[in-house]
Amino acid sequence: MTFRTIPAALAALLLAVAATGVPVPAAARDELHLYNWNNYIAPETIKRFEGVCQCDVVQTYYSDNEELLAKLAAGAKGYDVLVPTSNAVQALIRGGQLKPIDKTAIPNIKNVDPAYLNTPFDPGNQYSVPYAMSTTIIGYNDEKIKELGLPTDTWAVIFDPKYLEKVKGRVTVLDSANELFAAALKYLGYSANDVDPKHWDEAAATIRKAKPYWAAFNASSYIKELTVGNIWLVHGYSNDIFQANQDAQAAGRKFHILQGVPKEGAVLAVDNMVIHKAAPRPDLALRFINFMLDGRNSAELTNLIGSGNPNADAMKYIKPELLKLPAVFPPKDVQAKLEQLKDLTVAQRRIRNKLWTEIKASR
Amino acid sequence: MTARGRSPWLWAAAIAAYAFLYVPLVIVVVYSFNDSRLNAEWVGFTLDWYRRLANDSDMLAAAGNSLLIGITASLVSTVLGTMAGVAMHRYRPRLLPILVFAPIAIPEILMGVSLLIFFVLLNFTLGLVSVALAHIAFCIGFVAIVVRARLAGMDESLTEAARDCGASPANAFRYVTLPLIMPGVIAGALMAFTLSIDDFVITFFTAGAGTVTLPLLIYSMIKISVTPEVNAVSTLLMLLTLLLIVIAAKLSPTLLRSE
Repeated sequence: MTFRTIPAALAALLLAVAATGVPVPAAARDELHLYNWNNYIAPETIKRFEGVCQCDVVQTYYSDNEELLAKLAAGAKGYDVLVPTSNAVQALIRGGQLKPIDKTAIPNIKNVDPAYLNTPFDPGNQYSVPYAMSTTIIGYNDEKIKELGLPTDTWAVIFDPKYLEKVKGRVTVLDSANELFAAALKYLGYSANDVDPKHWDEAAATIRKAKPYWAAFNASSYIKELTVGNIWLVHGYSNDIFQANQDAQAAGRKFHILQGVPKEGAVLAVDNMVIHKAAPRPDLALRFINFMLDGRNSAELTNLIGSGNPNADAMKYIKPELLKLPAVFPPKDVQAKLEQLKDLTVAQRRIRNKLWTEIKASR
Repeated sequence: MTARGRSPWLWAAAIAAYAFLYVPLVIVVVYSFNDSRLNAEWVGFTLDWYRRLANDSDMLAAAGNSLLIGITASLVSTVLGTMAGVAMHRYRPRLLPILVFAPIAIPEILMGVSLLIFFVLLNFTLGLVSVALAHIAFCIGFVAIVVRARLAGMDESLTEAARDCGASPANAFRYVTLPLIMPGVIAGALMAFTLSIDDFVITFFTAGAGTVTLPLLIYSMIKISVTPEVNAVSTLLMLLTLLLIVIAAKLSPTLLRSE
């Protein structure tokens, strides 16, 4: 029988793949290992940095701060630079996972808008430097919402049945307890980080009252739904809404997907560059961080995905139509109403999970 | 079933079942040719996504890693799993089945985290090798189950006859037992390959800096919306898997059929 040829054929295939499919590292070029969100640095920026440092940038991706925390907590190493959100930075500092940043090695830190430095998450920026940011706001189909005469500058449009009954089944909210509670708390006039159980109950009641009008809790496909025109109003991330509008224009739709910043305030998420304590190349990591703090390099990411930019020097390189967006570049009065989410304690998380489960299960 | 023709209900049920299995795959393939980044509706035919894929070194490297790991894990776990299956069938050991089957029963997340902690303890550099080792570990059990089931249906007297005719134990295995259980071995190998190539949880924990496999890459893209490039790379992988099955069937026509 010819059975023996099957393993042989597989082995041959294996060799073929080994020979072609996997890039063999070229003779000992330096490598910087970046553990990043997907599509969170412009390809041309990487290329330029590789030219400057005479090294290769090797990226690995995560899609959630918790993934990153879990993996590092279990002891994974080999990463130089990570890009976690502020509350995750705090958790990493607490876990002793980070290496302090030598400020003398990153003179470009002078470019960062002081409003984003020295936050409670990392006082004095000992371990972290802001990279990019997004806000959690209202996104809407301009044609439909204008037709219906709905406001777009208040969370009421997401939570108040008076408005919602006009857009029933055309609204989605993020499938995230923390984001949705923050929005509801803001709507009720509290801080997004309010931990008073009575206020949480109020927020939960607000959410439950609005839930029958929503089409879905959706954190992944709402970009597409907005672009196609199925969904007219969302609670979502500013860069996703930017992306939805770009897609809609590219697809030749007649409407636009616009951003509305609620006057009650909103959640701000800042991602930061940090160096892992076991970084194989802390020297390259510092060079990379300083490089990314350069206005031009920092601006390239903003132009690519419409993320907010904490870098004051980047403004002159950013496309003017982006600079006009208050959700991406909040003016001072809006900035004052934005809040970064803090981590909850275990007990608080338990209460919130219970409320969230009740909300999800209710009809 | 009697010979008076099959009932239309059976046909309907069969068609519904096959449609359920294959229509999603067909949709993936069709939309890989769709001229729209959104992929929500059909816009027009294009080969653009394949062109883009050919220039996407990230995606190609991830696909290459997935294939390399899948083939290695499938080859090694097939050899070890077959040995375990034969040993369990022949010697009825008490401990071995527990050791072999435990990785199947253990939740993936637990296995992923414990493997990661184990590798870190050994100061083992995480990378392709650690992922391949982890995949081999969970694939062995599946191969062993299939092989043992095949052995249970085999007539033991055939091996005994070979021994009576003077074959050494090794030869009796090679020329009598192995050919008879080969469909089980191949099925085990294909199963191991499939399990390895789409594993996310264990891979996530055991992969090192710079080791990206296809599931890891696609998952990380979900947040920023998946483009038809993913359809394109999935289509190519499907073709490759199909090719493997066709080659296997060509090499031995009885392989994928029960006698």
